[in-house]
Amino acid sequence: MSRRAFRSLPVLLAVAAGVTWATVSMTGQTTGQPSTAKGDWPAYNADLRGTRYSPLDQITADNFSKMEVAWRFKTDNLGSRPEFKLEGTPLVVNGTMYATGGTRRSVFALKADTGELLWVHAELEGERGKYAPRQLSGRGVSYWTDGKGDDRIVYVTTGYKLIELNAKTGGVIPGFGKDGVIDLKVGMITGSGQPIDLIKGEAGLHATPTVAGNIILVGSSFKEGMTIATHNNTKGEVRAFDAHTGKLLWTFHTIPHPGEFGNDTWENDSWKENGNTGVWTQMSVDEEAGLAYLPVEDPASDFYGGHRPGNNLFGDSLVCVDLKTGQRKWHYQIVHHPIWDYDLSSAPLLADVMIDGKLRKIVALPTKETFLYVFDRITGQPIWPIEERPVPQSDVPGEKTSKTQPFPTKPPAYSRQSVTENDLIDWTPELHEKALEQFRMYKNGPMFNPGVVSQAGGPIAAMTIGTAGGGTNWPGGSFDPVTNIAYLYACNSCLTPIGLIEPPAGFETDVRYVAGQAGAAFRIAEAAGAGSYADAPTVNNRGRGAAPAGRGAAAGDRANAPAAGGNRGGTTVQGLSILKPPYSTISAINLSKGEIVWQVPHGDTPDAIRNNPALKGMNIPKTGQSGYNIGTLVTKTLVIAGDGQVTTTPEHPRGAMLRAYDKATGKQVGEVLMPAPQSGSPMTYKVNGKQYIIVAVSGGNYSGEYIAFSVPSEALTTNQRQR
Amino acid sequence: MKPTTFQIAGGCLLGLWAMAAVNAPMHAQEPQPPAAVVAPQDAQAAPTSIVDGVYTPDQAKRGEQLYGQFCASCHGPALTGGEMAPALTGGDFATDWIGLTLNDLFERMRVSMPQDQPGALSRQQNADVLAFMLSAGKYPAGKTELPKEAEVLKTIKFEAPKSSGL
Repeated sequence: MSRRAFRSLPVLLAVAAGVTWATVSMTGQTTGQPSTAKGDWPAYNADLRGTRYSPLDQITADNFSKMEVAWRFKTDNLGSRPEFKLEGTPLVVNGTMYATGGTRRSVFALKADTGELLWVHAELEGERGKYAPRQLSGRGVSYWTDGKGDDRIVYVTTGYKLIELNAKTGGVIPGFGKDGVIDLKVGMITGSGQPIDLIKGEAGLHATPTVAGNIILVGSSFKEGMTIATHNNTKGEVRAFDAHTGKLLWTFHTIPHPGEFGNDTWENDSWKENGNTGVWTQMSVDEEAGLAYLPVEDPASDFYGGHRPGNNLFGDSLVCVDLKTGQRKWHYQIVHHPIWDYDLSSAPLLADVMIDGKLRKIVALPTKETFLYVFDRITGQPIWPIEERPVPQSDVPGEKTSKTQPFPTKPPAYSRQSVTENDLIDWTPELHEKALEQFRMYKNGPMFNPGVVSQAGGPIAAMTIGTAGGGTNWPGGSFDPVTNIAYLYACNSCLTPIGLIEPPAGFETDVRYVAGQAGAAFRIAEAAGAGSYADAPTVNNRGRGAAPAGRGAAAGDRANAPAAGGNRGGTTVQGLSILKPPYSTISAINLSKGEIVWQVPHGDTPDAIRNNPALKGMNIPKTGQSGYNIGTLVTKTLVIAGDGQVTTTPEHPRGAMLRAYDKATGKQVGEVLMPAPQSGSPMTYKVNGKQYIIVAVSGGNYSGEYIAFSVPSEALTTNQRQR
Repeated sequence: MKPTTFQIAGGCLLGLWAMAAVNAPMHAQEPQPPAAVVAPQDAQAAPTSIVDGVYTPDQAKRGEQLYGQFCASCHGPALTGGEMAPALTGGDFATDWIGLTLNDLFERMRVSMPQDQPGALSRQQNADVLAFMLSAGKYPAGKTELPKEAEVLKTIKFEAPKSSGL
């Protein structure tokens, strides 16, 4: 009943909205392609090269701390319940901001100077939305224009449909697909070609589509791959569509079919019975060369590859394809036979750099494992040698690990890649002793430490770092295309113990080993937001007083074993990480030399450490904060990123800081308070002579909100006003 | 289903969208508590912090049952979280709530949990789950149950536990 009223709104309002917009578009500049040089932020990563860079410089070291909230937009009402994990980076083109938000993943447009709402588009997907493997509002939208006034917003719904909207009105583009919609589940397959169900079939996407010229690239994403019902899951495909009509232009099989390059890396014909291997993060495009760069994830399942002997191309590979045809130009497999959840997480960075006196066109790939892999982006040749080195071998029955893995010789790793006893907390002998005791319950070893069958008496799991969480995860990196310095955030404390168990009774699967811990109750891994789609049951839909269906008490936990009942390991001790800080860092890497220029911890020391009576009187340097959701923004002079946790310090009231670092030195030069942690990566733009920074915040008690900051006019110098 | 577009123009429906555009904290519409519960039994001993013993062991036991049924599949039996859900104990959890009141935490549970059917637990059940979380976090128990009324929960500050050294 309420839904009927809800859906009738556009009919009543469409005409009025059109009138409003006619006025605006007469005054706005609607011709040509948008760009950061014009003050726009026209793509998720600012451009197709993954820079997250804008040349704007009205906001500087001098005035960053003087910034004030220009406007806010709360996303609670974009869905039937609030969202507490808002991950989007908005776009701004010609003074209008476009973003996604809420548990409905609605698309909305705001006036970028005031935050005034212009239109909202909601796609009511019902059952299909509920079954989606990737819930919540996603990362945002893409923008396409013919440069002559036909301006469109492109996005992927929770239920995996590709939609084009009129950027001015929010109405669907009738000539695109069928009534503005392409059903992306059509063409997705399992096995050797069985189509997936259009409602329940598993496929979705958080990343935005990639719009390059008149071509739209779309990847795919699935459920968390640690405890899955079948390794014969949906196959990840990368597809290209015509931006005018929605016509399918090409499909790249990330799991090669017979006759295609790489099919033989799936021994025993196992290509047929394995899935995933999608591209779930942002892609990058060299428009001039006509090449697209696809960062591919793990095949199913994440931690056990016994059903897919071989290297499993193009799992965990950077694949370069012809933008127009989808033909593979080159590829490089970052992880052979992936069983660590090292998924390629980040948009490739495309830079033109002087290296040893020669101008090179490179692609640099930030990763969860925190190697930055650098190649000639035309030929695929490594810029600096990448060596195949022997790695530890698995003893899990049926598993056949690759004998070697690639190790770049330059640049050096920019975060922890493995854990030794030297990495354990040592603020007090007691803390160290406890951490050591827990740590010894795991099988420990160098990078590429393979998972083990969990034993209650130990090893309960193989300890890894920078695997499932990273390192650098979905926010990816950033770089300055003028100086060719890359700025990469990395978690330096995101541990993932990899323990395997035979599937417990009651969990139906064809996977021989699933993630779990011996002696602990089993728990199915779900992606964040599972079950939270706006059309999922709420108390309002059920009979009054009816008891909700419980999920049963069965639950286990791999990441942190229970503290009680003897030594069960665990990655925290007395609420603190078992690792020494820094918990996270931002690194500057010179792409010309392959060297780390500076590295600083990112984020206030958490309250739990600063106020810890056991640590009283100790001088603990800034620790940074654990977490893998932080993305960076680069401007003419600054690197900007917010804290991933709230703190209360003598310097500021309860909140999380948005920070500015001097690009050259890493020294913090400014900060402003946000009411909640950064949960989506910041962006910047300029409208009516004023520069703004928008950041998505959410978490804890604070539901999703986009906040726009700017410097008050009276705090700007004459010179800055003119910039 | 058909796509739906909202187009906002002029004065139409601005009221509807004001809620989305304004930074309104999520303290909407709690039921008024009965007067008898608002007044603590002994005004001088009224707890002001979760370290003061604000729940009973029996209540925590009830909460443990509910936790196992509705929360553990995502947050883990030891409240340590996982890929999909944050820990409900330890330093990172405390960081989210120190400086706020138990009502803030209660409200987060009420409006958004369990994730696939938020609002499914009654206020009493939420209070019981919260009691279990405090117990698991090594906060001391007391003689009075944690109340379910917002006005009282608002008077109880969230602090780090004293015993665990946090």
